[in-house]
Amino acid sequence: MSIELGNGINLEVMPSKKYKTTRILIRFSARHSEKTAAARTLLTSLLETNSLNYPTQNELSTRLAELYGAGFGVSVAKKGNIHQINVGMSLVNGAYVGEDHLFDDAVAFLQEILFAPNIKAGAFDEKTFVTEKENLIAYLKSMKEDKQTFASLRLQELFFQNSPDQKVPSFGTVPTTEDLTAEKLVAVYQQMMTEDHIDIFVIGDVTPEQVRKSFAQLPFEKTARAKPEIFFTQKHSNIINEQVEYDQVTQAKLNLAYQMETYYGDTDRFALLVFNGLFGGFPHSKLFMNVREKESLAYYASSSFDSFRGMLKVQTGIDQEKRAAVLHLINEQLESLRKGEISTEELAQTKAMLKNQFLLSLDNPQALIENAYLDLWLPQTKVSEEAFLKGIDAVTIEAVKKMALSVELKAIYCLERSAS
Amino acid sequence: MMKKVYEKVNETLYSEVLPNGLTVYLLPKPDFHKTYGLFTTDYGSIDNRFIPLGEKEFITVPDGIAHFLEHKMFEKETGDVFQDFGKQGASANAFTSFTKTSYLFSATDNIDLNVATLLDFVQAPYFTAESVNKEKGIIGQEIQMYQDDPNWRQFFGIINNLYPQHPLHIDIAGTVESIAEITAEDLYTCYNTFYHPSNMKLFVVGNIEPESMMTLIKENQASKDFLLPQPIQRAFPAETLTDIKKVDSLEMPVARAKGVLGIKVLTNQLPTDNTELLRFKTAASLLWQLLLGTTSKNYLRLYDEGIIDDTFGYEFNLDRTFCFADFGGDSDKPAELTKAVKEILLNYGEDTEINETNLTLLKKRMLGKFFQSLNSLEYIANQFNQNLFGELTLFDLPEIIQSITLADIYSCGDQMIDEAAMSEFFMYPKGE
Repeated sequence: MSIELGNGINLEVMPSKKYKTTRILIRFSARHSEKTAAARTLLTSLLETNSLNYPTQNELSTRLAELYGAGFGVSVAKKGNIHQINVGMSLVNGAYVGEDHLFDDAVAFLQEILFAPNIKAGAFDEKTFVTEKENLIAYLKSMKEDKQTFASLRLQELFFQNSPDQKVPSFGTVPTTEDLTAEKLVAVYQQMMTEDHIDIFVIGDVTPEQVRKSFAQLPFEKTARAKPEIFFTQKHSNIINEQVEYDQVTQAKLNLAYQMETYYGDTDRFALLVFNGLFGGFPHSKLFMNVREKESLAYYASSSFDSFRGMLKVQTGIDQEKRAAVLHLINEQLESLRKGEISTEELAQTKAMLKNQFLLSLDNPQALIENAYLDLWLPQTKVSEEAFLKGIDAVTIEAVKKMALSVELKAIYCLERSAS
Repeated sequence: MMKKVYEKVNETLYSEVLPNGLTVYLLPKPDFHKTYGLFTTDYGSIDNRFIPLGEKEFITVPDGIAHFLEHKMFEKETGDVFQDFGKQGASANAFTSFTKTSYLFSATDNIDLNVATLLDFVQAPYFTAESVNKEKGIIGQEIQMYQDDPNWRQFFGIINNLYPQHPLHIDIAGTVESIAEITAEDLYTCYNTFYHPSNMKLFVVGNIEPESMMTLIKENQASKDFLLPQPIQRAFPAETLTDIKKVDSLEMPVARAKGVLGIKVLTNQLPTDNTELLRFKTAASLLWQLLLGTTSKNYLRLYDEGIIDDTFGYEFNLDRTFCFADFGGDSDKPAELTKAVKEILLNYGEDTEINETNLTLLKKRMLGKFFQSLNSLEYIANQFNQNLFGELTLFDLPEIIQSITLADIYSCGDQMIDEAAMSEFFMYPKGE
């Protein structure tokens, strides 16, 4: 049930007795940009660490322990052009521990976090700021330690090389973090509170009226809030960007990016789901079966897509001596789909897996929240459960073939150990 | 079929031990779309020395064989079991730990068929020399992928210090060299010894009707022949504190150094009674939280001094044949980190953080976290298949948590904290 709490402030209540918890998510949406990503990320660290009335981590943690170990976190994410700050909380349904007011206490805690950050005299607490900035820089530098993530970020840079904003991940970069100050961050905080679009989601054993009452008292300012366009599209070029980078890795990472025409909500989105399932989305997919199972060339070989930015990705972990062979084999799998070499059995299996995946997601509170978010932002794309399942069923081999023909290879990235 | 209602957690559990020895648990969750089936054998990477079923002498098998066997179970003469599940709309997977190997599916449709497929594929081994050799390439890649993961290397670094003799220190997947030795015959030996129904558990949770599900499982099992169960004889090196390697380090391309302090608890010091063992485990968790959790002054001091950052954490492992805790994370001053943690642990007797108020608070937190964890069908199934505590189950935890007193906390500390049982491991950034 949707309730408008103010201009650009929506509350979505999803009552359910299925879970032993209540999940609350307050999402701030703004336009993602290279310049603000790092600042907004550091802001989340500051909001999460302490506040005016809980000035140390101990006090904040103690308050959460008093709320029966409520899970709490402030994080950033990205969807197409949108940069999100997510303030999330999960708490046990008060009935299990005999505490009726647990939900209201949780909302009061969130109010403290959002409206009483640790700002004094126009600056965030200096000591907290210095520690959190140092930690964020260390964290950004440590991204390199997870080779899969690192390779994936480098592929993103290569694919979006003409878009300064899309090249940058949701959490920003080291250089843009370095010149942040405790004063500058106050402006970032105020901008988020007054200019971001806000969506609040509550899922659990609650009533819409009870939830509305609790949230209506939060003193959000009545301002004009922006609602940026979600979808990012980039111009076509005929160039395939290739990059090989060296690092101390035992296993090489070979990643490919293709440009797609199909976006979330397009009528052929179901064909895209089936195509991706057949290409590299499942253990029976062409990539898994041929690159891994038949040729033992990789431990993992999979594909995934981002239908908010028109990007299809292939990720593999391989023996670097076999790079050319793997590349060739990946291309062969796509060609095979372009020729429509799909058995009715493969097609049926992919559809069954997609439907299973979809139904499983309906058991997951966070997945339900993500669906609700997209339904709010893109109401024209909303489909019922039944229509979704029917949409999958209706995909033909011809439609998959067409989808396979429409994707174009644009970037090849490989992380290898240096020859020296 | 046994039926037990756990009122406090609002769950009803059905269970039965079948004539062939298989333990079955069923947990209906009618609100969920999902059904999750988990089939587990009490066999993991540490079980590398044992007497094969029907024989008399101990043998030692190559490192990584339990995990290798897990991979090979999916391949049959007729093809790949993943595909059978896929056709039935289910996704399947498996994982191997130090002490267990588990096979699973999750599905929203064809549940009876998927449960039967799970039972049938795990109970029908098929290994050939050719398929065993082919798998070596894939697992070799998997081993290499983990070699590049600093956190994994760090974890095995401290285990290696604490357990240089015990097979716990061996990577679950083995090494490229050790898996090269594995033969189809070895796989059959391990399979026949450890995959007997009497050494296994099946847990099905989700949108199921318990009576008909139990009937289906019983009929499936009655149609198969198994040898009479025999107690499995495994061998492990005698445990001491003197074999602990006090310090070791490794260089890897990491941004910040890492420091970890480990502490080994000799299992012959642990309670033998199931309730007492579960209370011990719970008390130990609370003790670490009191001393070093995010609500403790110790944590705040170390954080403010820049000795730890929010990667700091600890783990407590209590399982078949081993028990240890490790504390650590990223730090520019890793030696100060382990030194500080060591001091805090050794002086726990005088630590003012251990008091009635803090204990009450942390019990409250633990109770809330417990209820939150019950949203995950996977977590519930996994915990049940662990079965370290006899008749006690996950659902008995609220009462156990409530029963912990300060006296339990101190007695737990007395049993575990000993300078001779500690070890340090460091990871330093390596220049590129």
